[in-house]
Amino acid sequence: MTSIEVGDELPAVEATSTLTTSVMYAGASGDLNPLHYDQAFAADVSPTGGIIAHGMYSMGLASRALTAYAGGPEHVLEVSVRFTRPWPLGTSATFGGKVTAIADGVATVSLVGQTEGGDRVLRGTGRIRVRAESG
Amino acid sequence: MALDRTKVGTRYPSYRYEVAREKIHEYALALGETDPRYLSDGDDCVAPPTFAASFTIVKGTAAAFADERLGAHPKLVHGSQTYTYGDRPMRPGDVLVCTPRIADISVRGANEFLTVAVDCRFADDDRAAVCSEMTIVFLGSAPQQADDEPSTQEPA
Repeated sequence: MTSIEVGDELPAVEATSTLTTSVMYAGASGDLNPLHYDQAFAADVSPTGGIIAHGMYSMGLASRALTAYAGGPEHVLEVSVRFTRPWPLGTSATFGGKVTAIADGVATVSLVGQTEGGDRVLRGTGRIRVRAESG
Repeated sequence: MALDRTKVGTRYPSYRYEVAREKIHEYALALGETDPRYLSDGDDCVAPPTFAASFTIVKGTAAAFADERLGAHPKLVHGSQTYTYGDRPMRPGDVLVCTPRIADISVRGANEFLTVAVDCRFADDDRAAVCSEMTIVFLGSAPQQADDEPSTQEPA
């Protein structure tokens, strides 16, 4: 892996949220809130009136981009996001970020997830350990 | 009904969570992960960072939501989430001891913000595995007049 520098962009992760991705995430994470797979339930309570992806699914994808860039989970110190907009089922979104600072062997990375329509589903920050040989 | 702010600082009983290899595989597949270690049947298997969701989101808030005096209600959304990690990733067979705590309750406009922190430690050596901080937004239940919130904090 090449060294980490301020201004580096994370290789983006792109995903389409579908009923399948939602059910898989619900089963894997144990978060069985029907808002994420049951249209009749979502019609009552969803901010969009439709099924939306788990916020944690979107955070998981942002973290996937961050962790791949860092070189593995042993280099990830912190992941922090705000869920800013719902991510409707049937739409694609892109998760990426940029290195904003490096100090004391730790790189700070801004994180963002945005739908194809331009809605920002999350934004946040990651902190990753920079490998000793690159500092 | 508004959340009971005197609950800030409350610690709920710890629960245990055993990290299972097949759950790591399942979680990695749900995210389309490609690091082969997440899907490994060998000693190199580790969990992706947000695998922590499996034991901090639903399990981490269960005690607080069951606490009638706190006043949680179903009209909520997940506002933000922070994970801070310890010295090493989670692996199959790790047993975690997780302790939830009400870290904060605040009001903005008509909504209330509940922050639940869950401190998760490896049972064998008591070292930090991950600390979760989750803010849940309860929609529309803020007290009509929050006497300790200046009205200038209302959204424009």
